Amino acid sequence: MSFLAPAAFALAALAGPLIALYMLRSRRSRMVVPSIILWEQAGTSVSAALPWQRLKMSPLLILQLVVLGLFVLALARPFLAQQTELGPHTVMVIDTSGSMAMADRWNLLEERALSLAEDVSRENIVSVVEAGPHPRVLTAFSSDPLVVADSISSLSPGGGIERLDEALRLARGLETPDRPTKMLVLSDGGPAGTALESEPILNADHIAFTDMAANVGISAFSTEPTAEGATRIFLELANWSDQAASRQVEVAVNDLVTVVVSVNMEPLGRSRQTIPLDASPGDTITAHLLGDVDGLALDDTATISVSRPQANTVAVVGEGSAFLTALVDAAPFGWAGSEASDLLIVDGGPLPDIDRPTWLIRPDAPPPGITTVGTVQNVGVTFQQPGEPILDQVDLSNVVVAEAQLVESESWFPMVRAGDVPLILLGTVNEQRVVYFTFDITHSNLPLQIAFPVMGTRILEHLAGGGALTVIPELAGVPAVLSPPEGARTRVIRPDGLVDELAPGASLYRATEQVGRYVIEYVDASGASVATEEVLRRFAPTESAGDFHDLAVVAPPTDGGFSGELVREWVAWFLAALLVFLALEWWIGHRRPVKARSTPVGSA
Amino acid sequence: MLLEADFRARLERMALRSHRRVRGVWAGGHASTQRGESLDFADYREYTPGDDFRRIDHTLWARLGVVLVRLFEAEDELPIRLVVDRSLSMDFGDKLRVAQRLAGMIGFLGLAAGDRVLPFRTPGDRGAPFDSRPALRHLSSWPALEEWLEVTPPAGEAHLAATARYLAGQGATKGPAVIISDFLGEGLIDSLDTFGVVGGGVVLHVLAPDELDPVVSGDLRLVDAETGQEVNVSTTPETMKQYRAAVDGFVESVASRARRNGMDCVLVPAVAEAHELVLAELSRIQLVR
Repeated sequence: MSFLAPAAFALAALAGPLIALYMLRSRRSRMVVPSIILWEQAGTSVSAALPWQRLKMSPLLILQLVVLGLFVLALARPFLAQQTELGPHTVMVIDTSGSMAMADRWNLLEERALSLAEDVSRENIVSVVEAGPHPRVLTAFSSDPLVVADSISSLSPGGGIERLDEALRLARGLETPDRPTKMLVLSDGGPAGTALESEPILNADHIAFTDMAANVGISAFSTEPTAEGATRIFLELANWSDQAASRQVEVAVNDLVTVVVSVNMEPLGRSRQTIPLDASPGDTITAHLLGDVDGLALDDTATISVSRPQANTVAVVGEGSAFLTALVDAAPFGWAGSEASDLLIVDGGPLPDIDRPTWLIRPDAPPPGITTVGTVQNVGVTFQQPGEPILDQVDLSNVVVAEAQLVESESWFPMVRAGDVPLILLGTVNEQRVVYFTFDITHSNLPLQIAFPVMGTRILEHLAGGGALTVIPELAGVPAVLSPPEGARTRVIRPDGLVDELAPGASLYRATEQVGRYVIEYVDASGASVATEEVLRRFAPTESAGDFHDLAVVAPPTDGGFSGELVREWVAWFLAALLVFLALEWWIGHRRPVKARSTPVGSA
Repeated sequence: MLLEADFRARLERMALRSHRRVRGVWAGGHASTQRGESLDFADYREYTPGDDFRRIDHTLWARLGVVLVRLFEAEDELPIRLVVDRSLSMDFGDKLRVAQRLAGMIGFLGLAAGDRVLPFRTPGDRGAPFDSRPALRHLSSWPALEEWLEVTPPAGEAHLAATARYLAGQGATKGPAVIISDFLGEGLIDSLDTFGVVGGGVVLHVLAPDELDPVVSGDLRLVDAETGQEVNVSTTPETMKQYRAAVDGFVESVASRARRNGMDCVLVPAVAEAHELVLAELSRIQLVR
């Protein structure tokens, strides 16, 4: 223990006068008593010839010396110097991505961050930056532990993807010229291979949180049309653990539970379910995993809505054929240029950028997720995916293909096969639906089949969303665009039930880190609702794995003034002890109860 | 009012007793030192001229040839001497008030039983060692006794010895003395030797709780309320221990001196319910029935 004001110890000399007062005879107070006979028998009368007497130790003297000692110690400002992870200025970059909700990561992070917040002082100031989908500065240059702790406590993991690079740019902007600035990145690091890998973070420490637990999550959720014009949902579950998993999924339409299905998954496997539903445009469909909460609860629920169909246009690029032209003409679609069309049919040729729903018919190169390992000749269709609406009432058993690519894929859905050779696959690229034919239709007898126009029309409807167009929710953290009527204020009811009141004229709502449904109400000056809309946000599937890795950092130099020292003063404790002893001294000196002797009446 | 009405109603059903024979002025209900006219045979003695012929025992005269007369027991009233110490040392705490109430209680007991009550207080007015009132014999005298006791202001030093000597000189009557005092004063304990001669009785030793266990601290100059003498005291734990030992010794010396003179002694803390406690104690030692 050291002292900030050791000169105060000079006041300890006051102990001398205090002791002297006890050695000085006090002037006796005069007191009239019934008789002095008994006091004379006590034999304690003394004469006061000398003003001094031998020092008699009394409890009061001891207590007063203790009080004086505590007073002197308090004035000397005792303190303990401790090393702290904080530097003179520390920017805490806190990851609030979805993967931070894995297992106990967030609790550990919060505990660690709050522990660091206790070390905040005027010598060790702290800024807090949230590294979520929208990095932002929560607190800048604060020397108040409570402010920093409040900022940390206000955070929680959302369903979005961390943008560490932008968060670190914000943190760099907070660097102070007058004191070295140190970064503390509290994060799981996210999946390996991020852009940060090539740019080590200077003067930073990475506090990694890598707690893991078995997790099963909803990795894809959308609606598709059925042949009857109703709706069915496509649900994909991913098992991120190395143990087989069995879960039940509850599907609700407008919060009314409609279906519960059981799903079994291999270790690290996926399971895809197609479930017919009686849902109409405008309905909200929610899927929820039942049973014990796993390592990551945020990806156990997903919500989509069914919106109104839209008119679609089609363009054909590549070789094209009369069969395709006739098909589009017969289907309820219009023609448009390849740049402006809603759907694209690629008949051979190079693989274009897939920026819209696309029907790929044996392009030169396969799309991402499909690998070509060779070709096969003269194969016939032997398998049609049962229950697949595109193939409803469609018979492809007579279709023969002269030559087809031999492809392999883990993530694409083989709809039609010839033995083990996929011929038609369904999948997504860049969030766009894609149907992939491994063969040139003109090198088969498919166009001659009665099934071709039926299946072709359904493929186009599938790509367009069919009779009911699915609106795939944006990822959590993507701002919601607002369109308030003139003069209206905006009120947002978040998935957790809390309400945000936005300033008039606000055109964006950024706090969409939570997964689920946001109800946006536009209200007039009287508070009446004039319009309502709904925005959905989904959990980022890449966060479900809970991937983590060590960020490349360059630790701050030990001799560059980055290390922080925490000075904990003990004045308050000494003052508290002083008050206790002072009260005890007063009590003993003035109010000490005298134990009365029991003197019952009786014959003596 | 010294005694509450309900307490007086209880006292009316009780009476004071003496453990010794008494000699009163009038006949009463207590065994007398005289021979009298009761039906209780007491003794024989030889006939002397002037004796009543009717008391000659003719059977013994015929059998023994000696003329003897029969003697019978006499019963006298109980002469109660009530001595109240009103010295300045009694003016601490509730000692004097308690003494007044105890005196009232004893006096009322005597008046209710038709006994003779002779009240004394010491010191007396105008420098006299004691004051007294004429003997009281009936409950109708209670208001006068109560007033006399209530207007008993503290004054001077107690003269118990002078009071005792006066009583001893009144040889016509013989009965118990009830001495109510703190005995804090030179020679007060010695006066009990004289009171014992008067006819026994009971000592009510009144001390305040603060005297039994004082709450004092620091260095003090103590002044005697009666004599004005001073003593310096430092109230250390050792001092207080010695003081309490002195108190115990003092109480024991009063009690032992009383016992030696055939008197009972009751230590009375000066508290509000002291008269109730004393009445219970007197009943226990059969001085009140």
